[in-house]
Amino acid sequence: MTQFLQTAVGGLSIGTVYALVALGFSIVFRTMGLVNFGHGDILMVGAFLTATFFTSWHLPFPVAIVLAVMVAAVMGFGFERILRPLERSDLNLMLIGTIGFGIALEGVAQLIWGSIGTAVPTPIANTPLHVGGVIISPYDLLVLAAATFVMAALYVFLNRTKAGIAMQAAAMDYDAATAVGINVSRCNGRAFAIGAGLAAIAGGLVGPLVYVQVSMGSSIGIRGFAAAILGGFGNIPGAIVGGLVFGLIEEFAQGSSYGAYTDVITFVAFTLVIMIRPTGLLGEQTVARP
Amino acid sequence: MRTIRFGHRSRRRRALAAGSAVVLSLAVGTGVGTAQPKATKLPPAKTFNVALIGSDSGTNADLGTWDYQGTTLAAAYINSHPSAFHNVHIKITKFDDQGDPTTAANLAQEVASGHYDLVYGSSLSTDTLAMMPVLSAAHIPEVTSGQSNAILAQGDGYVFLNSAPSSIYDATLAKYAFDKLGDSRVAMLTNNDSYGASEHTAMLANLTARGLTPTDDEVVVPTATDMTGALSLIAKANPKVLFLGMEEVQSGLAVKQARALGIKAVILEGAPAATPIYVQTAGLSNVVGTIVSSPYLSNTLNAQTKAFAAAYMKAFGVAPELHGAKAYDGMMIVATALNMLKGKWTGPTLAAAMHRVKYTGLTGKFVFDSRGLGLHATQIAVINNKGALVIPKNAVSRPSK
Repeated sequence: MTQFLQTAVGGLSIGTVYALVALGFSIVFRTMGLVNFGHGDILMVGAFLTATFFTSWHLPFPVAIVLAVMVAAVMGFGFERILRPLERSDLNLMLIGTIGFGIALEGVAQLIWGSIGTAVPTPIANTPLHVGGVIISPYDLLVLAAATFVMAALYVFLNRTKAGIAMQAAAMDYDAATAVGINVSRCNGRAFAIGAGLAAIAGGLVGPLVYVQVSMGSSIGIRGFAAAILGGFGNIPGAIVGGLVFGLIEEFAQGSSYGAYTDVITFVAFTLVIMIRPTGLLGEQTVARP
Repeated sequence: MRTIRFGHRSRRRRALAAGSAVVLSLAVGTGVGTAQPKATKLPPAKTFNVALIGSDSGTNADLGTWDYQGTTLAAAYINSHPSAFHNVHIKITKFDDQGDPTTAANLAQEVASGHYDLVYGSSLSTDTLAMMPVLSAAHIPEVTSGQSNAILAQGDGYVFLNSAPSSIYDATLAKYAFDKLGDSRVAMLTNNDSYGASEHTAMLANLTARGLTPTDDEVVVPTATDMTGALSLIAKANPKVLFLGMEEVQSGLAVKQARALGIKAVILEGAPAATPIYVQTAGLSNVVGTIVSSPYLSNTLNAQTKAFAAAYMKAFGVAPELHGAKAYDGMMIVATALNMLKGKWTGPTLAAAMHRVKYTGLTGKFVFDSRGLGLHATQIAVINNKGALVIPKNAVSRPSK
């Protein structure tokens, strides 16, 4: 039982990171019906920015993350603005644009930070805690708490603020939202900015857990994407559930006798779930486009 | 597939390297001492084309960088001493295999249909194994930084290791940790790429030979960054020693995560633990006491390493470590073979000459066997509280073959 709980704690920790990545994918998809394939690379930039602010500029870790989120949000907003002319013509072109954007980001990151990457020290004293025989890393708890706070804040924004409700309306019915005077393009820009911000938070938080380097976005990004689909693409609670479930599957696979086949087990389990529930665990949500 | 050729920064580095070669040539008499002919009338200049294939992006980009730095420093030395090397000019072209064996095999095809005399690479064993059939068929010698015993098992006459393989690294570790220190509660954490699998096999053989069984034996994928699932099983087994068989960054992450789970076991590892990336990734406090097996323990070991370190620092602005020294030795071995051929070579004659080379370099004495194994010994060191490698007083100074 202790071993089960120990593995579950590890799964929840990495799962919250996947949930944040999945949220970023989902918020753009539900608003625009677009998969932002550059999302993983925004995470990578967020991780590098946090690492730079924290280790080179010696700013406190929370300040480093907030700054990274601001830069990423501006980047996301600007990217949506570049893609906006394509919105009404061909969504596939926008999708290819996001792939190109991701590749460009990798190139720029390599120019700025080099190809070797950097290790980020754990920002808090990480003496393990022993709770009922289960060993818990304080940094894992920090990640869990920060991710929970961000998810709660996102929920409040989407459901309790005018801008958030406008985004929800635009996601539900494009034409109706336009008819009642909602600026849908602005909503799309906000969705991109929020998605990029979420990616930057995930990147910043995951930095001390992994090694920050240019190609990290693809490996974490693909897991976040899978988590979003697992929970139900475009579904906000689904993204959280998908991320946590994906993290748990991965951790239990690694802790089994078949740890060498973790990726195979995880993605086979993912495929089986999707075969049984093609719209994900909580159902897909996306905008009905004209 | 992406090919990176020398850019402005590379040219600047080459210029720096060339300048530093003067310093090196004054101080490193032994660097090429076994091969220097008397300076006579120079033969016509000939270009020796080297394809440097390695991981220059991704998690293992550090390995590609070290290979690049070590080889270019050696090339700068060779090029600045035309009379000592039959006026052979080394030209290095860099290719990025991204740490991916498919990309590496494609690059090997590209190189095989080009005008290259030697492939230096890859920095990863898996990629080396992917390239070997292509290069061997094209009669292009290959000097690799890979350390997997699987490379030697191919029996390929065209491949040469610039270091010892896993079996030698791990035999040195086992002799010290199990025979001298008497540790017996050993857990193993390895990945399942070619290098990790080789480390796993070699260490398990050492344990079995001593009648020991690992308290826990976990294998993860080489891309795993979160290893808490496997490490929590290891924590449950409460080992005194944790053997790692994975590349630099992954090793560092494993140690960082192990300590966060309360695993206090002494870390036991080969070449990856002898690098600054390992210390940086894990955090200094987590790696103090790590027992390392390496053929290159210090930049201040002797006059040769001191001169090498000074030239390296001048050229690249960083202190060298094991992999840079390995790469330098590998290129100097090629230069020694070219000298034996008096600057006239083909693929087969160069490979044959390299099998006859006897070279004492920064990492030890090289004498190649038919499989491409040249270096036959490593040494033991421990990481101290400053992150430096120190030779423990009770360690064997240099085990004989």
